[in-house]
Amino acid sequence: MTRRIVIGVVVVVSVVAIVLGPQAFDYLRFERNLADAAKASEADGGAWPQRADECTLCHGHQGDSVNQVYADLAGQPAEYLAAQLHAFADGHRASPFMAPLAMTLNDGDVDRLSAHFARQTATNNDTFAPDAALSAQGKHLSGSCAACHGDRFMGRDRNPRLAGQGYDYLLAQMNAYADNTRSDPTGAMNALAAALSDVDRRAVATYLASYPVAENVEGDHESN
Amino acid sequence: MAGASMIGGLGLAARAQSAVTKPRDGAADVLDVAIVGAGLAGLTTARDLNRAGCQSFVVLEARDRVGGRTFNHDLGDGRVSEAGGQWIGPGQTAVVDLARELEVDTFPTYYAGKTVFLAGDARLAVDLHGTFGTDEKIAAKLNALARDVPSGAPWLAPNAAELDALSVGDWLAQQAIAPADRVGWDATVLLSGGATPAQMGLLHFLSMVNSAHSDYAQLDSIKDSAQETRFVGGSQILSIKMAKELDAHLRMTCPVRAITDWDGEVVSLHTDRGVVRARRVVMAIHPALCNRIDFSPNLPNERAMLQRHWPAYTPGRKTAMVYARPFWRDKGLNGHVLQAGGPVLWAYDNSPPDAAIGVINSFIQNGAVPSDPELATRMLTAIYARALGDDALTPQQYHDVDWGTCDTWTLTCVAAIPPRFWTTYGKALHPPCGRLIWSGTETADIWAGYMDGAVRAGHRSALQVLNSLGAHA
Repeated sequence: MTRRIVIGVVVVVSVVAIVLGPQAFDYLRFERNLADAAKASEADGGAWPQRADECTLCHGHQGDSVNQVYADLAGQPAEYLAAQLHAFADGHRASPFMAPLAMTLNDGDVDRLSAHFARQTATNNDTFAPDAALSAQGKHLSGSCAACHGDRFMGRDRNPRLAGQGYDYLLAQMNAYADNTRSDPTGAMNALAAALSDVDRRAVATYLASYPVAENVEGDHESN
Repeated sequence: MAGASMIGGLGLAARAQSAVTKPRDGAADVLDVAIVGAGLAGLTTARDLNRAGCQSFVVLEARDRVGGRTFNHDLGDGRVSEAGGQWIGPGQTAVVDLARELEVDTFPTYYAGKTVFLAGDARLAVDLHGTFGTDEKIAAKLNALARDVPSGAPWLAPNAAELDALSVGDWLAQQAIAPADRVGWDATVLLSGGATPAQMGLLHFLSMVNSAHSDYAQLDSIKDSAQETRFVGGSQILSIKMAKELDAHLRMTCPVRAITDWDGEVVSLHTDRGVVRARRVVMAIHPALCNRIDFSPNLPNERAMLQRHWPAYTPGRKTAMVYARPFWRDKGLNGHVLQAGGPVLWAYDNSPPDAAIGVINSFIQNGAVPSDPELATRMLTAIYARALGDDALTPQQYHDVDWGTCDTWTLTCVAAIPPRFWTTYGKALHPPCGRLIWSGTETADIWAGYMDGAVRAGHRSALQVLNSLGAHA
């Protein structure tokens, strides 16, 4: 039986190759890759089409942005992601982009999307070239961040991962905290950011953006 | 003939002349009309007013350039590549008439040859003859549904509530689309509608198909479709030429921060360059941008809710890679590339009409391509090289516009209206609020969201203003 199927497949492929020429094999490989990608996507995020597809346009493949402007969602604590989506929807966090998008989500959507991106793998921010002097200054200023943002700045509970986050995004958030256009419910980030000069904020953003995510640490970054 | 000449044809010019230029009671600094936004809609309104004999108006533009969501990259030697809206097609007669009046020529989008598909390590080159290879059976079902969905007011469709409850994705999921075909639908819905299938409202998508004569092929193809034709000099040339005619009436770098007394006889517009007072205001900006303006008194709740929920979350990012010549054409390729899963959504030949240089434009996923131009060039040229050959590795220029970040006065590309939006908020799209007349492409009766829709909205707004002023003269 198995032999018969194999022979059948070979005959079909041969016929396709004769009819379509060398492109037949390209076509079969193309179809196979699409089918494999569809299967992997379903296994990870459920039936096609998925709500998360809209998020990944700006936040990168599986939420791992390679663009310094857009926030990394991959590997962020689910609690943090859910809190942000609720904050965008109810106006506690202002964004002309995210507010109307978050308002289309119900609580179930928020929980599913948050869980989805929380389980994606974060990667190092390899598309950012840090200025060495600023990074050193940032290291000096970032000592207290881990208290809330977790070991190696990997995020915890309602506090996001900062390690490997986009530089422009980190800087924009610190600036927003400093001028109170973004509010931290505890007030801590507003006070901390306001106490930093413009250069200090750039230094902290540089250091954290280039900090390797925990799963990818080789050696001791702190001693570098 | 549609367009500004319609005003004369309807006999409005004479009435407008007497009504609009007639001295009125009150301060001499009160204009008849203030137009917010110098995109295609705002400038078309201004041009119509001017041609109707109205001189008492001003166009307020936040940016230092005109054209709104059209923008030409300057490639040198008078050649350009478009970063925003750029194509026109069958049925888009308003923008064609405007171009003719402005003496702007057109030329066909280049599609002769094979389109390259990439999926993982696989590459496939296929001649699609100016289409995107859409499944005709599915398209026919969309066409049938679209016939009863009015393009300019989809919430008035007989089965609006039923259709608006679904996303395009919900509907496609019912059509048993094969796994290998899903990526094609992802791309076509995103490129035409501005959102992924799960986020795109079916009712709105059908209203777009309705604009295209209820023929999906006229919406999403190139040949005989909405991507068929380009403007010589780039689409922004339309606004640039109109602005030249209207120069004395334009105030650039003049964002409107607040609008007060919109419910009174004279409205005040508070800008970075002082206060402008006018009897009528044409809001030629999209509803999400209206959220950037403080209105006093508050806008009616229905209008405020429409603006607050307006989907401004599909910024769109478009790049232009410039080569010494369109080398792909020699190989029988049309320069078009579709990459499953991105980061390139659709690359296409955007060379100038003389093909003296080669240009590959791309719609890309904003977050999947580095913001750094050097890194972005490296990533994109590697993809183009796989698709088109190694000549792609040596570009001469790279241009990149992310419409979400390039300035604060765009926010988003086309309006990717989600499910349940139109039946909840649609009724507030058109009705004026006091002296405020809502314009912009989103308010057009057909081809809303397109350049043609902007021109149509501009003409309609001019008529609304002139009629309103005439009635109150």
